[in-house]
Amino acid sequence: MKRHTVLPGFGLTLGVTLTYLGVLVLLPLSTLFLKSAGLGPSRFWDVVTAPRVLASYKLTFGAALAAALINAVFGLLVAWVLARYRFPGLALVDALVDLPFALPTAVAGIALTTLYAPNGWIGSRLAPLGITVAFTPLGIVVALIFIGLPFVVRTVQPVLQDLEAEVEEAAASLGAGRWQTFRRVIFPAVAPALLTGFALAFARAIGEYGSVVFISGNMPFRTEIAPLLIMTRLEQYDYAGATAIAVVLLLASFSLLLLVNVLQWFGRRRALA
Amino acid sequence: MAIQVRNLVKRFGAFSALQEVSLDIASGELVALLGPSGSGKTTLLRVIAGLETPDSGDVLFDGEDAIRRDVRERGVGFVFQHYALFRHMTVFENVAFGLRVQPRKIRPPEDEIRARVHELLGLVQLDWLGHRYPAQLSGGQRQRIALARALAVKPDLLLLDEPFGALDARVRKELRRWLRRLHDDIHITSVFVTHDQDEALEVADRVVVMNEGAIEQVGTPEEVYDHPATPFVYSFLGDVNLFHGRFEAGHVQIGESSVRAHPGGSVEEGEAMAFVRTHEFEVVRERIGNGALPATVRHIRALGPRVRIELDRTDDGKMIEAEVSRAEYDALDLRKGDQVFVSARRARVFVNSD
Repeated sequence: MKRHTVLPGFGLTLGVTLTYLGVLVLLPLSTLFLKSAGLGPSRFWDVVTAPRVLASYKLTFGAALAAALINAVFGLLVAWVLARYRFPGLALVDALVDLPFALPTAVAGIALTTLYAPNGWIGSRLAPLGITVAFTPLGIVVALIFIGLPFVVRTVQPVLQDLEAEVEEAAASLGAGRWQTFRRVIFPAVAPALLTGFALAFARAIGEYGSVVFISGNMPFRTEIAPLLIMTRLEQYDYAGATAIAVVLLLASFSLLLLVNVLQWFGRRRALA
Repeated sequence: MAIQVRNLVKRFGAFSALQEVSLDIASGELVALLGPSGSGKTTLLRVIAGLETPDSGDVLFDGEDAIRRDVRERGVGFVFQHYALFRHMTVFENVAFGLRVQPRKIRPPEDEIRARVHELLGLVQLDWLGHRYPAQLSGGQRQRIALARALAVKPDLLLLDEPFGALDARVRKELRRWLRRLHDDIHITSVFVTHDQDEALEVADRVVVMNEGAIEQVGTPEEVYDHPATPFVYSFLGDVNLFHGRFEAGHVQIGESSVRAHPGGSVEEGEAMAFVRTHEFEVVRERIGNGALPATVRHIRALGPRVRIELDRTDDGKMIEAEVSRAEYDALDLRKGDQVFVSARRARVFVNSD
């Protein structure tokens, strides 16, 4: 069945899309699978279930989740301020949000380490309180928060801008308190975008390497993230082992993103049912 | 609920939206705030609702101070021009919202909420749409849902901001009759804002004409239409022609023509603005006496029972818009470019007060 649409070339654009994604994304990833397959199932299992590797997975996913959750809360707040209020310096603050995107991650890592090291500007003030940030899992979370912030802000902000202030006024005129208005009116409207932003920040945090390796200290079983473990294996010319760890990381990230997309899809279906 | 507005002043930066506005609205009345954009009508409505805080002045609900009461506690139903429905909620949940957010102590039980929502959806004749989402409704349906939502909390006062402004002409006409009937049924004190004179004159018990942050005139539709208090009201209501001339001894001099006129103010003599509505002209082919202005027919719009004729005055080239009945038009047998004589049966003058 051929349907007529205003924009021509559905077949062409879809073809280009699939080829493009195939060459750019699928091809490198499939070599990853091929390479790791060279290990054989039992060796593969041994590599990815080694205690040191399992510890790194736990750390990577745990820290990424914590950072993404914190980013979801504060990213929403930042997006709210940027979308709703007019104040001097707004453009500057708005530009500041994108900085973690632009900065080389290693630079961010070094800067954060300098700040949070026990003799650093912030670290030395936290030390008397018994809080050490650098070279602990907490430091990893800080670095991941830094690089994940723009994802949440930039996905939520346009949705908040689209949400008319009138809707909030309508809720207030119907007797809803501030919290009720947020929970029943604003939050459901931005939830899909917030979920997307959260998922992007989370996925990015799982793969983050540059900014983390400086602040984490890279102690096996304690502060060693999975991407670093992959690098270590590569440096030891253990390509199959490195790709095996990577495959697990990849599958986990992909299922997570897929889950988010499915959730979104259900959400949209409900809204249009 | 009766509303008294006392000396309201509201500025937005250098722009003065309300200048010492005072107004009384009786309980159960349906009042229209009519004016061009920027006249302060929406600001006045929003101040009454509590969505805007005035710089000074008072708003009293049944004699009690309302200014210090938050919008949540004013018991006001507000309908927005662009509906402001909650997009992620069904129509049913939109209407139920005001009941669901009530404190637990006074919130009605679920089955009562259901009954109330169905009653309201019945009132706006959309009971069959309860499970739909706002995006699936037409503009007219959305506005009726917005109205049902506002009425759910049994407000003492209903405020509507350009409620039909975003709808097409046919739906607008249908909805304003429907609003009038609804008001006759439930008798809730209602104020609506509009820039459409037909809407205000057709629907409202009383019309408040506003201009540049001040009230020009308050009165029944007949009063403001037949006895405009100011030149602004005259030119804003109905199609009207404006002339400048000297007014004395009950007549205004327009070109060579002398027209019997009623003064709008107390000054009896001087340079004046004279207003003549389009249907107050007589168009003839032969000059009788010297009370008529020579003119050339420029354009004719012969649709329906009234025929509109645009004419250019021969003396100063300015345009006159006249309206004659179909029968008169047929008798005249007018063509574009014909030379005719136009005389005003009456005029209303406002003597310049400088």
